[in-house]
Amino acid sequence: MKKTINIPLGSQHISLLEPVRFKFECENEKIIGVDADVGFVHRGVEKACTTSFKFDAIGYVVARVCGLCAITHSLTYTAAVEKLLGAQITSKAKYLRILLLELDRIHSHMLCLSHTCENAGFEAMFMRIMGDREHIMEIQELITGNRVQFDYISIGGVNRDLAPESVQKIKENLYIVKQKVQGYMDEFTNNWSLSLKFKGIGMLSLDDAYMYNAIGPLARASGLRIDVRNEIDYLPYHEVGYKMQTHTDGDINARNLVRLAELVNSIEMCENILNGLPEGDIFTKIKGKPQGEALMRFEAPRGELMYYIKGNGSAMLERVRIKTPTFSCIPAFSHIFLGGDYADAPAVLASFDPCMSCTAK
Amino acid sequence: MFDLKKYRKKSPWILHYNAGSCNGCDIEILACLSPKYDLERFGVINTGNPKQSDIFLVTGPVTFRTRERLVELYTQMPEPKVVIAVGSCACTGCVFRDMYNVEVGIDRYIPVDVYVPGCASSPELIIDGVVKGLEILEQKTKEMEKPFKLFKEATTDDGIVNRRHSALKVGEDDAKD
Ligand code: SF4
Repeated sequence: MKKTINIPLGSQHISLLEPVRFKFECENEKIIGVDADVGFVHRGVEKACTTSFKFDAIGYVVARVCGLCAITHSLTYTAAVEKLLGAQITSKAKYLRILLLELDRIHSHMLCLSHTCENAGFEAMFMRIMGDREHIMEIQELITGNRVQFDYISIGGVNRDLAPESVQKIKENLYIVKQKVQGYMDEFTNNWSLSLKFKGIGMLSLDDAYMYNAIGPLARASGLRIDVRNEIDYLPYHEVGYKMQTHTDGDINARNLVRLAELVNSIEMCENILNGLPEGDIFTKIKGKPQGEALMRFEAPRGELMYYIKGNGSAMLERVRIKTPTFSCIPAFSHIFLGGDYADAPAVLASFDPCMSCTAK
Repeated sequence: MFDLKKYRKKSPWILHYNAGSCNGCDIEILACLSPKYDLERFGVINTGNPKQSDIFLVTGPVTFRTRERLVELYTQMPEPKVVIAVGSCACTGCVFRDMYNVEVGIDRYIPVDVYVPGCASSPELIIDGVVKGLEILEQKTKEMEKPFKLFKEATTDDGIVNRRHSALKVGEDDAKD
């Protein structure tokens, strides 16, 4: 007789933001098999980029692949095209790009932390973090004119200059958020009921992280020192005070702490940029059509994002390939679920911070 | 006694479904529920259960794989219900129009009451949309509770009472007056 029961989670579920279906095979309370189905939101962006949009418009189309890391998508694409066109952008534009990239990371990590708390049953913490996240959204609206989906990056620079009168407000908001993040650190390390839900649950060891090709905060929480920001020289990350954050435990708690440490580091980077922003233009005009192949990587909030583009000298590209962070992490996700309790599944899932609209494109 | 009508207006529950959006509008819906905008002051609660909800928030153009689920969720919700399309892509398809795996907006499959445009629609707009949806919900409730006749007056020709054409379709009586 069959001893196991199958429990589906999704495609529509209160703890999920987006449609994804997991099928858990359970024996009593323990999960012994996982099957993931991620293709619900497949739209066909890659194909449309080569058939219906010209290369200078694609930067705004690929931003719609994912609303949370929209800026990383358009930046990676734009950087790849700039590499093909041999363009040089001004250093002010580079710093403004980092500023927005880090603001995006801050709000994405805060969303993830609040979501993890909500799925662990701590509704008050969810409300607290979501409330504080509005400070960052305000900054983004001040700089770019929109709260999410800011079409800020264009080929040759950025679309809007930083108004001098808004700098003061941005600094104030960043200061407030920094204080709040210190408070969360305390809460996440010392709160007893959160530790019951987070400590020692959803473990990923260093060897497994290496073997299953984990990236992003998931890998850094297991002690794997992997971060694209550390490896590229296209954006001056080392000048603005980038430090890699790692932890060794590999459980949900470690992931939260890594995200919190990255929040603090990102806020510091933003402050450094605001204090030492160089003078100059924000946009250089670039002529030509992309010809040849280019590959570009950046660190999205969830890990490495890679674009491959191929042009043939006309306005239409021949191929655009997007490799997204969640896609690379799926083997590690499935491995972590095995052997855990079913009751922990929503919290574990939220701690991965999965992004399905990235994965399915 | 228990007045369901009153409570439905005071505390509508929300069901949210992502039919292939980019998450941009979804996080704005989450932001609506957070302390700054606080949709909960209208009694709104986010539920995961279609059988308990009154307002259906849909984001995203409909992809081929989500459309069955979309219609399924819609049919599982009890009457009266209000459908709100959040974001440009739920309204018209936005940039995803003409991609090979995408439909043009949700109104091909389910009737939409309120359209909330914007990419991404701001929380203020979404709150406006939900408040507008509440009005429509109230109106729909009233309409549902209105008594209506099933038969017309019988006609008499040549002194014989004729009931052959007296059956009424639902709503036909209202249309006349
Ligand atoms: S309307 Fe824009 S932001 Fe909203 S889901 Fe569609 S593409 Fe994303």
